[in-house]
Amino acid sequence: MEKKKAKKKDVIALRKSCKAKGTGLSHYILMDKKAK
Amino acid sequence: MAITKKKSITDGAAPSRGRFVNTGNGPTFQAIDIGHKEYAAVIEPDTAFWSLVPREKIADVFCEGDLVAAYTGKSKLFAREMDMLRFGLTPSAVYFNPTERCNMNCTYCYIPEKMRRKGKHMPEKNLLKALDILKRHFGKTIPKGSMPQIIFHGAEPLLNREAVFAGIEAYGKDFLFGVQTNATLLDDAAVDFLTSRKVSIGISLDAPTAEIADRTRKNWEGGGIFKDVLAAMKRLGGYEGWSVICTMTSANMRHLTKLVDFFHECEVPTCLMNILRCTLPPSRSLKPRDHEAAKHFLAALDRTYELYERTGRKLTVGNFSNILLAIVAPAARRLMCDISPCGGGRCFFALAPNGDMFPCSEFIGLDHFRSGNLFHDDIPAVLDSEPFRLVTGRKVEDIEPCRGCAIRHFCGSPCPAEAHEMNGGMDRMGAFCEFYEEQVRYAFRVIADGKTDAYLWDGWDKGMKDTFRIGSL
Repeated sequence: MEKKKAKKKDVIALRKSCKAKGTGLSHYILMDKKAK
Repeated sequence: MAITKKKSITDGAAPSRGRFVNTGNGPTFQAIDIGHKEYAAVIEPDTAFWSLVPREKIADVFCEGDLVAAYTGKSKLFAREMDMLRFGLTPSAVYFNPTERCNMNCTYCYIPEKMRRKGKHMPEKNLLKALDILKRHFGKTIPKGSMPQIIFHGAEPLLNREAVFAGIEAYGKDFLFGVQTNATLLDDAAVDFLTSRKVSIGISLDAPTAEIADRTRKNWEGGGIFKDVLAAMKRLGGYEGWSVICTMTSANMRHLTKLVDFFHECEVPTCLMNILRCTLPPSRSLKPRDHEAAKHFLAALDRTYELYERTGRKLTVGNFSNILLAIVAPAARRLMCDISPCGGGRCFFALAPNGDMFPCSEFIGLDHFRSGNLFHDDIPAVLDSEPFRLVTGRKVEDIEPCRGCAIRHFCGSPCPAEAHEMNGGMDRMGAFCEFYEEQVRYAFRVIADGKTDAYLWDGWDKGMKDTFRIGSL
């Protein structure tokens, strides 16, 4: 198993972006594609 | 006499270049303790920007310009992203209740007992008509290439199985379908039908033993259903599109770590461990104290990591993954309870068996949040009605102490239904606060320790691009 170890850094900051698709509420897990 | 306004020399903005943190037009940075031995977090709450800074260097962030300059260059982009996420989405999912009835009487259910015991089914012809109306509506509102989602929810949707299956059969090309069920009616034929049509299946289980699970999830005679759920889990083995929801209460929270072991052993692909909703009074008898619930929940998350390290196989806890995503990739979040406004009425809405529309399933049973009927009213008008706007207009900026909270966009102050019913208004908090604080602190520790991938599903960042990344300033 490959694990990513954090390197010692002065500051860590990361932000990723994508198209927002949020549709769910907590009563159900929405699949973003049909189950295989 | 008309008054001509003189144009201000600053054109409405403060004459500040925004060079300094926390004054003038400078960014508002709040430092928080995340319980990590090396790092603390610095957060710009409005744009959900964060950075992890060595504890001994926190003062440097506020006194030197590098992080401020890096952030300032991206601040408008981040603000637009949050604005889109919070105010720019339109509904693409419906929580579709095909029956009021349930064959169970769980202590914490948010649907009133009278409705579950003696309620009505939606006739098959009405269910098909409803799907047709929704298909036509989403055909006008959802971009081509996207599929709207229908989740048959409850009460217990499989009590009206023939109608539900007829709908899935007739509209399988028009919607992504899901079913959330208590699993008692999930027999071989039902599993065959749903899996062959690639329907997502969610079931519910609160503990790894009958003794604990049956305390809160029981039938009308008071009997438990643990064995039935286990049998359904075996039938679903090997299917990718199933998940289990555990509702965390004072009755089961001490057993969450064992439940993680159990789910992992059963090869459950994904689970949710949701804190109890306190919308209706009976559920409040099971309300745990925040810090105790957090202690057990975080221990369960630790356990998922230990199991991943040992076996290489993940058990993703969806509600925590969503918090982690809210931090590293805000627009990628899937669940919309932990952002404000929440998803109720703006990302999804709920449909009762008679066609009545509600902002969310949590409001079914609360008459003052009923707003229009799918069979008689215009959907856009309902989405803009006063009961819906009460929910879609609920923002952390209007709630104390959330408006000053550094993590307000990683939490969202859920849930409007319990805020309204339990605490007296939409401008109140929901039932829990410290529980959410601890989740966010844990998520930052996960990031600091480089373990993010272990808590998210494989390929979680596929198709995403980095908009900010720094290792050292």
